[in-house]
Amino acid sequence: MASETPNTPTLRAVETLAWKLRRRQIVGSRATALETLLVLRQVISKSRFSNMEQLVSIIRSVGRRLVEAQPKEHSVGNTVRKVLHHIREEYHTATRGSAAASYSAFSISKFVLLGQPRKQTALPKTESKGSLKENDPDDPDSFARSLKPVLMEAIQDVLDELETVYDNVSKNAQNHIHSDEIILTLGMSKTVEAFLISAAHNRNYTVMVLETAPSYGGRDMAKALSGAGISTFLVPDSSLYGLMSRVNKVILGAHAILANGGMFAITGSLLAATAAHAHSTPVVVCAGQFKLTPLWNLYHEYGALDFGDPSQVLGFEEDSLVDKVDVVNPFYDYLQPNLIDAFITNDGDHPPSSIYRLIKETYDDEDNEL
Amino acid sequence: MDIWATYQRKLEDVQISPPLAAILALVDLCATSTAGTMFELVKALNEGSDSLKQHSPNPISINAGCELFIAFVTLFPHDSASFSDLKMELVKQGEIYVRQALTYRRKIGELAVDFIKDDSVILTHSYSRVVMETLLLAHRSKRISVFVTEARPRGLGVKTADALTAAGIPCTVILDSAVAYAMDKVDCVLVGSEAVVESGGLINAVGSLNIAIIAKAANKPFYALAESYKFHRLFPLSQYDLPSHNPRILSFPPPIERDTVLASSTSPIPSSGYEVFITQEEIAKNNPDVDYTRPDLISLVFSDIGSLTPGGVSAYLVGMFAG
Amino acid sequence: MATETPTSTPGSQPSQKSMTKAERRELQEKQRAAKLAQPADTLNKPKSKPKPPAAQKKYPPGPAEANISSADAFRSHTKDATSAPAMDSLAEASKSRSLRIFSHFGLPKHGPGVKGDIHPCIVRLALQFSEFKICGANARCIATLIAFKTVIQDYQTPPNNTLSRHLMTHLSPQITHLVSARPMSVTMGNAIRQLKLEISGSDIDMPEQDAKDLLCQKIDDYIRDRIIIADEVIQDLACTKIKDGDTILTYARSSVVEKVLLSAYKQGKRFSVIVVDSRPLLEVSWTLSDDSLLPPPPPIPCTYALLPALPSLITEATCVMLGAHSLHSNGAVFSRAGTALVAMMAKQHSVPVLVCCETYKSSEGVMLDGFSKNELAPSHLFRTTLPISPQGANLEILNPLYDLTPPSCITAVVTEVGLIPPSSISSIPTALGKINL
Repeated sequence: MASETPNTPTLRAVETLAWKLRRRQIVGSRATALETLLVLRQVISKSRFSNMEQLVSIIRSVGRRLVEAQPKEHSVGNTVRKVLHHIREEYHTATRGSAAASYSAFSISKFVLLGQPRKQTALPKTESKGSLKENDPDDPDSFARSLKPVLMEAIQDVLDELETVYDNVSKNAQNHIHSDEIILTLGMSKTVEAFLISAAHNRNYTVMVLETAPSYGGRDMAKALSGAGISTFLVPDSSLYGLMSRVNKVILGAHAILANGGMFAITGSLLAATAAHAHSTPVVVCAGQFKLTPLWNLYHEYGALDFGDPSQVLGFEEDSLVDKVDVVNPFYDYLQPNLIDAFITNDGDHPPSSIYRLIKETYDDEDNEL
Repeated sequence: MDIWATYQRKLEDVQISPPLAAILALVDLCATSTAGTMFELVKALNEGSDSLKQHSPNPISINAGCELFIAFVTLFPHDSASFSDLKMELVKQGEIYVRQALTYRRKIGELAVDFIKDDSVILTHSYSRVVMETLLLAHRSKRISVFVTEARPRGLGVKTADALTAAGIPCTVILDSAVAYAMDKVDCVLVGSEAVVESGGLINAVGSLNIAIIAKAANKPFYALAESYKFHRLFPLSQYDLPSHNPRILSFPPPIERDTVLASSTSPIPSSGYEVFITQEEIAKNNPDVDYTRPDLISLVFSDIGSLTPGGVSAYLVGMFAG
Repeated sequence: MATETPTSTPGSQPSQKSMTKAERRELQEKQRAAKLAQPADTLNKPKSKPKPPAAQKKYPPGPAEANISSADAFRSHTKDATSAPAMDSLAEASKSRSLRIFSHFGLPKHGPGVKGDIHPCIVRLALQFSEFKICGANARCIATLIAFKTVIQDYQTPPNNTLSRHLMTHLSPQITHLVSARPMSVTMGNAIRQLKLEISGSDIDMPEQDAKDLLCQKIDDYIRDRIIIADEVIQDLACTKIKDGDTILTYARSSVVEKVLLSAYKQGKRFSVIVVDSRPLLEVSWTLSDDSLLPPPPPIPCTYALLPALPSLITEATCVMLGAHSLHSNGAVFSRAGTALVAMMAKQHSVPVLVCCETYKSSEGVMLDGFSKNELAPSHLFRTTLPISPQGANLEILNPLYDLTPPSCITAVVTEVGLIPPSSISSIPTALGKINL
C-alpha cells in the first residue's frame, strides 16, 4: 500500500469532528451525518490516490476513526458506507468495459453470493471518459484526477438528500394523518415534528405528546407543535396506557433502523409501541434513510445500550438517597420489527420486512465492518 | 461407479455434512464420467443425485447439495476448447468449494456469538456441528450455560451434552417434553438445520418446531444456523408436504391380537404397574425424523453470507436458482 | 342528595375556634377561589347555586378587591389543570372537540366552597385531600372514617328525630364536601356504604351516646378487619412468594406492597427491589427520603428508574408487585397511572404480576378502559412543576391519575382471602361488603 496519510489540514478536520463527537457536541443523527459528509468531501478532495483500493482504504480509515469516537451514533458509519457505495458505483460506471469479464473467477461460493438481491443501478451516466488508468507509473495522480469530479458529484447527491430529508419525509404526511385523528408521539424528533406540522396544513387533528422522562423532550415537542397551531396535549408517560384506547396512530422517531426491520429509538418508545400493539393501534416511524444501519440488533435486545446521567432521574438534592439506590437511565430502546407497522422515509414508505432489501441496496456488504 | 458407496465414504469424515458429501460424490461422478457433452454430463449428474436420494431415508439435505452443484454446472460458462478440461475445472471447483465450505461454520459462529450476551442461557436441540462450533467460540469470551434437548428418536442431545461438558460449558440435557418448562429460563434458542427452504423456514430434527412455537409464545429469540449449502429450493406448505413424509409416519397400526404382540415384544419399556406392548423402535418407525419450522417463528438465520431474516433467505434462494 | 342542613351544631363551633390562624387563612384562600369558580359551576349544575347565608356568615370572605387579584393569580397558576371545557366557556369551537373527549375526567375542583354545615375536621380533611397531603386509597379511607368518628361524636340528634334516620342526612353534606375536594375513591365509597348500613340498622331505643359509641366501634372494627388485619394477611401471603435472590419490581408507592417488602425483609429474605416511578406524582422519590423502603443496614438493594426505562429493567425482575386503587368485577385493576404499562411489559416477558389488594377495594361493575373514568391531577401541586406554562391556546396539559390494567396482564390478586385469579374477583362473598362483619 502506498502511503495514504492525508495531509495535515484534512487530518485536523477529521480529528476535530472526532473530538466533537466524543464530547457529544454534535447531537442528532442528521447533524452528525452532515458533518461527516463534509469531512469526507474534504478528505477525498485533498488526498492522493492512484487506484481504487487506496481511495477506499483512505475513506475507511477516516470512517473508522469517527465511528470509534462515538460508536453509538450510527449515522456516522452509515454516511461513510453510503459514500463508499456511491464511489464504487461511479467507479464501476467509469470502468464498465473492463469489469465485465469476471467470469473466469466463477466459483460455487461466488455463485451463492451472486444470488443476493442487489439492484445494479449503474445508470449510464456520463460515458466513461476515455481510459481510466489505475496505478499509472508515469502519472500516479491521473486516476485521482479523472475520478475526482464524479466523486464530488456523488457526494453532492448524498448531501442533497440529507438536506431535503425532512421535506421528503413529510411530503406525504397528509396521506397518513386524517382529519379528527388523535396521534400519539413522544420525545423530540425533528423529523416527526416536520411530519406533523406538514400534515397540519391539510388536516385538523389532535396530538398527544408524552413528556418522555427523564429528558422531557416531549415538552419541547409539545411547545413546537402547539406553536404551529396543532391542538396538542402534553401528558405524563404514565398515562400512556390509559390514553391508548383513544389514540388512532402512534408516530415515533428513530435513532437507528436496523437490518431486520427493528430500530433503536429514545427510551419510552418501546413502552408506547408495546401498548399500541396491545390495542392494535398502528405504529408508524418517521425517519430519513441515513438512519438505515446495516447492523442486526447489536449485542442484544436490552441493556448494554447507552446509559445517561442518573442525576436526570434523581436529582442530587436527594443525596441521602443517591447513595443508597442504584439509579438507571438508559438512552435508547430496541424495538422489534413486529411492533412497527411502517417506516415513512424520505424515499417512500416501507414495511419493516423490506428494510433488509433497502440496506442491501444502499450499502455494500464489505463495508458493514469499517 | 456406486455413487451411494462414495457418498457413504465421504460422510465418514466427521466434518463433512450430508450436502457436502453429496457434492463430493457428484464431483467424483463428474471426474469418472465419460460424458462428452454438457447435456450428457448434467444428465449423468441428475441420475446420480436421484440414486442418492433413493438410497437415503431422508433425502432433504442430500438434495440441497446436489441441487447446488448441478445448478452451478449448468450455469458454468462452457466455452473451453475441450470438454474434458471443463470437467476437470468443475471437479476442481467442487473440491475448492468443499474446502471453503468447511470454514463456514467458523464464520457463522463468529456472527452468532455477537448475539449471545454474557451470562446467558442457551437452549439448543439435538446435535449440530455449527451450533457446537458457535457455543465453543462463545465459551471463550462469555459465560454461557446450555440446555440441550434429548432429541428423540435419534437421541443426539446426549452427544452435544458430552462434548460441551468436556469443553467446560455447564450443560444439562432436558427432555423434549420439558422444553416449555425450561423456556422461561432461556435467553435464546440456537438450532442447526438440515435445510433452509424457500419460504425462509427451516427443516431440522423433529422437535425444532415445538421449540420454535414455545419460544415464540415466551417471546424468546429463535436463531437458526445454516451454512449456505443448506439453502434448498423447496417450498413446503405443511409438515406433510416435506419430501421426507411417507405414509407410514403417523399411520395407525391395524388392530392386532394382544397375545401375538406379547410374544413378539422384545424390549418392552420397563414400567411399573402395567405392561407395555410398544417398543421404542416401533414408536420411532411411526414418527418423523425432521419437521418444518415456519418462517414466522424464526428470528434470524445466521449463515456464512451474513445474518438474514427469513425473508432475506428466500431472496437469496430466488436469486440463486431463479435469477 | 345535597340537602343543606342549616342547623347549627354546637360541637363544630369550638373546634372552629381551635383552628390555627394559618389554617383559617388557607381556608379563606380556598373560598375566594371557590367563589370565582362559582359561575362556572353554575353552568354545570345550576341546582347547587343557592348558598346558605349561614355558611356565608360563618366564614366571611376576604375583602373584595383582594379577591380579584389573588384569584387571578390562582387562576393563571392552575389553569393547566382546570381548563375543562365547561369551565373555559370561552374556548373556541375548533378547540372544543379535542377537549370534549376529556371532559368526563374528574377534575379537582379547586377550593371547595364550604356549603352548609361542614364539620371543621372534614374541612381540614378536604383540604388535605385536595392538596394531596393524604393520598392513596387506604390512607384516604382511614382518614375519612376517623374524621367521621369525630363528626358522629359531635353530632346531636335534633329533637323529634332519630339517630338512625337523621345522622345520614347530617353526614351527606360532609361527604359531598369531601367529594368536591377530590373525587371519592372506591374504598371510601365502600366504607361509607357500610357505615350507612350500620346507621340505618342502629337500635332506635338505644341511648344516643351508646349508639354513637357503637357506631364508632363499628368504624374501628371496619378499619381493623378490612384494612389493618387484611394487610397483615396479605403480607404473609405475598411473603411466601418472595424467595431469596429474587428481584421484585414495583411501581409507584403502594402502602401494601411496601409493607409486604419490609416484612419479607424482616423475615430474613434477601432480595432486591426495583422501584419504577413516574410523573405526575413521582411518589417514590417524593417519599423515599423518609427511608421507608430502606431499613437500617443492610438496606434492601434498591434500583430506581423512571417509567420509560422499564423495558431495560423488566428482564431482571422475577416478580412484579403492584398496588391497586380498586378492583372491578371483570378482574380489571384500577390503579395509579402507569401500572398497566408495568403489568403489560411483565406479561410480555412472562414475569408474574401480583396485585396486592384488600377485598374492600372491590367495586361492583365492570370497567373496560382507563379512559372512561379517571381523575386529573392538579399539576401545580407537585414539586416537579413543568418548566413551561401553556402559553398558546393549542397546548393543554393533562395529568390523568389512574389507568386500568386488563385482567389478562395480571397473574394473581393477593387478597386477605388468598391468592385469586383476577377473573374470580366477583366471586369473593365478602368482597363487595354484602356480608356484615
